Amino acid sequence: MNQLHPVVLVFLYGLVTALATGLGALPFLFVRTISPRVIAYANAIASGLMLGASFGLVSEGTRYGAWQTIVGANLGVVFILLTQRYLQRHDVEFGDAKDASARRMLLMIVVMTVHSFSEGVAVGASFGGGMTLAAVITIAIAVHNIPEGLAISAVMRPRGSSVAACAGWSIFSSLPQPVMAVPAFLFVEAVTPALPYGIGFAAGAMVFMVLVELLPEAFEAGQRQTVGLLVSLTVVGMVLFQTFL
Amino acid sequence: MDPTLYVLTYASFAAAASALGPLPLVGQKSVPRTMIGWANALAAGAMLGAAYVLSEIALTGDALPAAIGAVVGIGFIYGTHRASDTMDLDLNRLSDTRPEYGYQVVLVNTLHSATEGVAIGIAMASNLGFGAFVAVAIAFHNVPEATILSAVLHSRGVRLRSAAGIAVVTNVSQILLAVVVHSVVTAAPGLAPGALGFAIGALTYLVMVELLPESYKEAGPTSIALVTSITMGVLVLANGVAG
Repeated sequence: MNQLHPVVLVFLYGLVTALATGLGALPFLFVRTISPRVIAYANAIASGLMLGASFGLVSEGTRYGAWQTIVGANLGVVFILLTQRYLQRHDVEFGDAKDASARRMLLMIVVMTVHSFSEGVAVGASFGGGMTLAAVITIAIAVHNIPEGLAISAVMRPRGSSVAACAGWSIFSSLPQPVMAVPAFLFVEAVTPALPYGIGFAAGAMVFMVLVELLPEAFEAGQRQTVGLLVSLTVVGMVLFQTFL
Repeated sequence: MDPTLYVLTYASFAAAASALGPLPLVGQKSVPRTMIGWANALAAGAMLGAAYVLSEIALTGDALPAAIGAVVGIGFIYGTHRASDTMDLDLNRLSDTRPEYGYQVVLVNTLHSATEGVAIGIAMASNLGFGAFVAVAIAFHNVPEATILSAVLHSRGVRLRSAAGIAVVTNVSQILLAVVVHSVVTAAPGLAPGALGFAIGALTYLVMVELLPESYKEAGPTSIALVTSITMGVLVLANGVAG
């Protein structure tokens, strides 16, 4: 590996982290029943994962700058609102799903893909600090991507997508990581000031997606205590998980 | 000022803020459902924001006891709802005149405030300045919560002035727990991570089961999500700028 050009290495490391996202689909090999209740509870778990992930992102972003992070977060909220409006005005189909279901799946993929851009920048920028830690960072990001694949699959699988499609779209959502890591690695000094905006954007988009799409549907079809337990326990698990990475 | 008095002052201020809750109802014939929804969303955003700022503190210390504390906090609220038979209680019903509904609403509000007292107390024990920040956030969120409680009480024939009094009384548990938790954790600092976790878990769970489900029905997901996320953002920003 040492003969490779650092740029190729950064790209390959980024690719490994993207592939890891696909692992998040695996638990759904074992979930066969698909009912509104399963959708509700899967939504609740995805919500917890995304809220927990946003907590981690915001705490990282505010270290660079609180104002920039919040500006980014508001842009993330506006972005979701606009995407949501756009999808509502068009008849969308996704696989076998139509309308509300298809819209939710597409929105989820868009949210998670867009949020990977800033993660990719973060990866590349941290590699800029020196390649010795690169492997450690790669493993950390790769493991951290698995719950994100789980969140995507939790939204897609109960709506009839195959496990392979869940894995495929999970990986797709992380592809911006290798793509963005390279320019970020090459131009660390140029991208670092933009980082808190990007991190805030990712967090704002995820929190808003949880509040506007995932939770309302979860409360409609699931019992509120079960939804509450799943969301809050998953948030705790996700925050803990991030601290040990 | 002596730290205990400091906690007492701030927690009392937070509880007293709920007296402002009935103000938006003065002169209104009926309360619009969307307004109740937004009041819930404001409170939810403040509580989630508080959970976030507390978790930032928790993660500078021992993460594992904090996580265990969080699970205990979630389990505690789940247990109290179960034991008091208020698991599916809609706290916003303006036309439910059953006698037991009245006491259930007041009881659940009291338990809810007690949890927030734990949050103030543990924040104060970590750092008085940070504690003051959390107390102000909770004070701010007590206002919309008191608006909802007074709307429910008012619809049952309680005068708004008395509703303001009852709203403050339900928050007395907040003062008590803030002072107790602050003193106990100061005396036994080993309990700090667990207590922090307890507050974080309980706040998050309360938002999920008491505030958000009803609010979506009252005002629709988009406005609820906006009010909640913007309130969270304001809190995160204020904490980031102050910290």
